[in-house]
Amino acid sequence: MDERNASHAEELSRAFGNEYKEEIKAELEKLLSFKVPLEEAKKTVINKFMLKSSSAVHVKDLVAGMSGFEITGRITGIEEKDVIVKDEHRTIFSGSLADATGICSFTCWDDMSLKEGEVVRIRNAYVRVWNNRMELYFGKRSTVEVLPDDHLQEMDTSSLSGPKKLEDISPADVHASSSVVIIEMYHRDIPLKGKVRTIVEGVVADETGKLPFTAWIPLKGIDIGSFIRFENAAVRVFRGVPSMNFNESTVIGLIEETHDLPFTLRSAIQAPEPLPVSRVLEKNGIFDAIVIGDVISVRPGSGMIERCPVCNRVTQKSNCRAHGQVDCIPDMRIKMIIDDGTGSLHVMLNSELSESIYGKSMYEAEKMVRDSISRDAVFEDMRRKLTGKYIAVRGNSSRSEFGVTLVARSAWYPEYDLKERIGSLLRRIDGEGER
Amino acid sequence: MAEREMAHRLFAGEFNDSSFQVGQGADIPAEQELHSPNFLVTRAGAKVNRLFIAGVVTEVEDIGNQKGAEKELWKARISDPTGTFTLYSGNYQPEASVFLSTLEVPSYVTVVGKVRSYEPGDGSVFVSIRPEEINHADEGIRNRWVVETARLTLDRLDVFEAVLSSGMKDTGLIEFLSRMDIPSYLKEGICLALDHYHTDLTYLNELKGNIRNALETIGKGSSSKPGFQSDVDGLILYLLEEMNDGRGVEYPVLVKEACSRDMPAEAVETAVRSLLSRGHVYEPKVSFLRLVR
Repeated sequence: MDERNASHAEELSRAFGNEYKEEIKAELEKLLSFKVPLEEAKKTVINKFMLKSSSAVHVKDLVAGMSGFEITGRITGIEEKDVIVKDEHRTIFSGSLADATGICSFTCWDDMSLKEGEVVRIRNAYVRVWNNRMELYFGKRSTVEVLPDDHLQEMDTSSLSGPKKLEDISPADVHASSSVVIIEMYHRDIPLKGKVRTIVEGVVADETGKLPFTAWIPLKGIDIGSFIRFENAAVRVFRGVPSMNFNESTVIGLIEETHDLPFTLRSAIQAPEPLPVSRVLEKNGIFDAIVIGDVISVRPGSGMIERCPVCNRVTQKSNCRAHGQVDCIPDMRIKMIIDDGTGSLHVMLNSELSESIYGKSMYEAEKMVRDSISRDAVFEDMRRKLTGKYIAVRGNSSRSEFGVTLVARSAWYPEYDLKERIGSLLRRIDGEGER
Repeated sequence: MAEREMAHRLFAGEFNDSSFQVGQGADIPAEQELHSPNFLVTRAGAKVNRLFIAGVVTEVEDIGNQKGAEKELWKARISDPTGTFTLYSGNYQPEASVFLSTLEVPSYVTVVGKVRSYEPGDGSVFVSIRPEEINHADEGIRNRWVVETARLTLDRLDVFEAVLSSGMKDTGLIEFLSRMDIPSYLKEGICLALDHYHTDLTYLNELKGNIRNALETIGKGSSSKPGFQSDVDGLILYLLEEMNDGRGVEYPVLVKEACSRDMPAEAVETAVRSLLSRGHVYEPKVSFLRLVR
């Protein structure tokens, strides 16, 4: 067995408390020798030993694909959520569970009247990857037993979510703490269970990056430019980007002494450095990135389109796939591929950005469609105008089944100092010639 | 999910020097291999399926309905400061074919296309491009492309040099590369190139020299727009304008005329080459020169 597979065998053995070390290794080896793909082989091994093993696992040992195990921990947060599963409304319970080894988020499919702070033993749970992180699942088929409080000693969960720089907060984190400055903030009314609730949304920044936040609690005395320290914010993942959720269990405090911080409001609001596309492709999502490259293709679906007035989906021949025949709202957009020689990135421009980059207003574009009786007229014209052009875009990137897409918040034709760049490249060639 | 193949930046000189084609991977079942892209590996370690180029179309030829050719087939030559790309556009590239059929020659274009290679069986390999996108461009776009292509090629050559000077081979080499913080396509391309071509430092330095020349030619052109670098350039452009009888001017005739005006033959030669690579002058056919308008 080569080294890589050995490490997988070790990982599996650990998950079972090193009880079946040799057997697991032998079993994995056998499956791999039959050319079973590694992921499948691991799953098979897990299932097999799960039946044998009565030993409970700890949070840190959770591996995607595990099922039928037992785990004990304290519920450190729980909330009700309404979701639609196969066209059916369902109430699920989502929260986080901690033991001495770590903390993980969970989803409980049924109402088991669990409360925050309770210590529970769950039998027959399973683990899947959801939103790029391990998620513990249990429901009707599991047995959940509330244990006396002293079964687990009181834990200091903050040690599991110590302060981090924003760039180090990943979708795998459940809770996060950090010191940041608020650079964007606005109030929004959202309907929640029949009532309207005001939440605060915005962006926080430090010297390493920016992340969005949502506050479900009032932020007294905090505004744009405020330096705050937050502890125990819940990390949610939206389009591959971690988002900080400030809720009842989050502790937020103003930082009075700001000159010790490695950033100022001014440095934090600066535009990020442009990234090579290859770097953007490495990540599941980046909040606020700038990319500069050539438009190598304007994709079908660009130009004049129509949207459903109810759900904003793009319609085909006035038909919305959710709402049927509708009175459509015209819109303009550009879907293109930007490539800088290190990778290809899908980029979406909304109507305003399309107008400025394409150089024609939506009114003019609509006129073109009427005059030519063809919706494709604008698409074809956009292709002629944009293909091969050098362009800069700024926005958030996220990975989906179609690859990585950047939804632009701004787009422009960047300056290019040809003489300066030629000079520096020539110096680079000559400098190396001397070595 | 299959990731989109990125569009490499590559000079014609390096592209045309390539003869090594590989499939996606050796252990892919035949059925999947049909859909897996083909790659051309260059001597300097670029592993290319799709590329993006900007240059001057110097020649468009309708070669459809010829023996052995597709019914509709257009051939175009696109030059950059290091050489000339050959492009074929057939039935399956209707838009590019229409574009080429109405294109005035010479003119600046950008092309996104896939690598094709043809082996007549005598050991030689002809590489060409099948266009996916082709569009009008201008001198600014072409110049910027040259600079970006130079930068990206130099980045790659730096890695290749580091590999050569490390003296690593086989597994040692793989380990050496895996320690470097560079994209995987670079590592793969360099390993394949080393294995197949046994590329050495001399070749890399030669490429660097070509890149240097390419940068210098466009650097000159852009420093004193719209005029020209030297009096020689000016005189040659003047002569080409004056002596053009429709077919262009034959090179020896041009040199003779220039020499009669106290211009050394070497200077004429240098200036003509530079004007050619900057796209101010082109060759409508071998040894004939004509002004780009």
